[in-house]
Amino acid sequence: MQLTQFSCRHFRCLPGLAFAPEPGINLLYGDNAQGKTSILEAILYCTTSRSHRTTTESDLRQQGEEGFRVALHAIAQGQPIQLEANWWHNQKRFKVNGIPQTRISDILGRIRVVFFAPEDVDLVKGSGSHRRRFLDMELAQLSPAYLLALQQYKKVLRQRNETVRDKRPDPILLDVFDEQLVQYGAILMAERRAFVTQLSAFAQNAYALVAGGELFSVHYLPSITPDQDFAETLKQNRERDIRRGQTLLGPHRDDLELTVDAKPARSFGSQGQQKTAALALKLAEVELIHHRYQEYPVLLLDEALAELDPHRARRLFDMLATQVQCLITTTERAPNPAMEEHPLTRFHVVRGHIEKT
Amino acid sequence: MLWNAPSVERLVEAFRRLPGIGKRSAERLALHVLSAPAEEAEAFSRAVVEARSRVSQCSVCLNLTEENPCAICSDARRDQRIICIVEHPSGAMAIERGGMYRGVYHVLHGVLNPLEGIGPEELRIDRLLKRLEGGAVDEVILATNATSEGETTSLYLSRQIAKFGIAVTRIAHGVPMGGGLEYADEATLAHAMQGRTRL
Repeated sequence: MQLTQFSCRHFRCLPGLAFAPEPGINLLYGDNAQGKTSILEAILYCTTSRSHRTTTESDLRQQGEEGFRVALHAIAQGQPIQLEANWWHNQKRFKVNGIPQTRISDILGRIRVVFFAPEDVDLVKGSGSHRRRFLDMELAQLSPAYLLALQQYKKVLRQRNETVRDKRPDPILLDVFDEQLVQYGAILMAERRAFVTQLSAFAQNAYALVAGGELFSVHYLPSITPDQDFAETLKQNRERDIRRGQTLLGPHRDDLELTVDAKPARSFGSQGQQKTAALALKLAEVELIHHRYQEYPVLLLDEALAELDPHRARRLFDMLATQVQCLITTTERAPNPAMEEHPLTRFHVVRGHIEKT
Repeated sequence: MLWNAPSVERLVEAFRRLPGIGKRSAERLALHVLSAPAEEAEAFSRAVVEARSRVSQCSVCLNLTEENPCAICSDARRDQRIICIVEHPSGAMAIERGGMYRGVYHVLHGVLNPLEGIGPEELRIDRLLKRLEGGAVDEVILATNATSEGETTSLYLSRQIAKFGIAVTRIAHGVPMGGGLEYADEATLAHAMQGRTRL
């Protein structure tokens, strides 16, 4: 997977900008607040219709503008492909090879990217909702069946939550929602379990590569444990759900447990360990996508190098740079000597403009 | 609108309330009505008023009708022992166009959607259940739409009807006739696979 052309208009602080990423490492350097992160965010948005910083798309347009546009050219599975995202007055339109697409599932996975930003430390430090969002975003790119089940599950959950807020909810209606939650929830749990098992092995390697020594592992912590029956659990907790006005148990409460040397990274990990753990999860995702599709995704690293000493950075680049196209943002022109040994293209980003140097 | 004419604005507003009509279309329709001969506009408004006053819900199946009971419910050739449940009159119309169905209908005028305040009471499901009492019905066909709410409604009805000992069926979902597999979306294909039949 390789991006060959990027262009955007009125995206965040970028008035209009285009450049051609090269194979290997693409270093986007420049002072803070010049638009480096916005370029990566635009790529993420165009390929997933999501941003890592906001769920409000109007935040993504340049101030005072009515809309924005992002277009990507890439080579995916050996074939050229174009993706285009247009947002105009609260309407979004996506095109693949010039053809309008109506469903998110028709866009996801066309160009696979893995994005790592400083905020991703929340994957380790933050609440379970961050880790569920990670699971959902990654699995949605990997499995159309998962995305479909997730959308249905969320709809039914909202309906059920609304129903248990009633003073006297219709028991048969609750039976129906339970049945639907169980049906879609089973797909979510099975896919998550398989994904985490695979991810954990890759994450262990990635963590060892970057940090050395310590043993990192990822476990799936389902809200409904394998020895419990989801349908039975919903039934038993129905009275409690009605008292509390929400559905207390189910895949919407799943979590991941991340441990370093068998200790929970969330509470026992140092700042450095937590950042490395978050990076290891994303690098594991890179390997997992390669494993499933025999093709590496594009890796977007936002300010990720500051934490790594040159020795560890070298090992990271040795692993990535020969096969994975990386777009890396930094404030320095030469952040790391290890980079120079690999195919490297530099772009200078200043006040929303970009120049190859 | 460019000029100050409250009556025109009211007309535009009225068109805008129709489904699928935006501001531009509403203005175009209003201008059309105003530029056409006066008789045409009068005929148009008469048609609206007349249809609205003559058409009401059938007391049996709740479909829209000029006579009560409706033509389908009072047709002796239709099989009164089979009831097909649809969300809206448009669903019954669509099935009638197919011309194959010989049973009768029940129109819900909506689907279960607690988020929008529509529960079993709002759908007057008791009226449907009353119709099923007394053993005059052999089969109920659930033909709600293949949406999340449509599925919820069908599952709900199937559980409610189960106590009457009546056969409950759900219409099949799958690949459209004359359509290529490559045009069907993943969800439809997954359903089609699940609902495959032995030849």
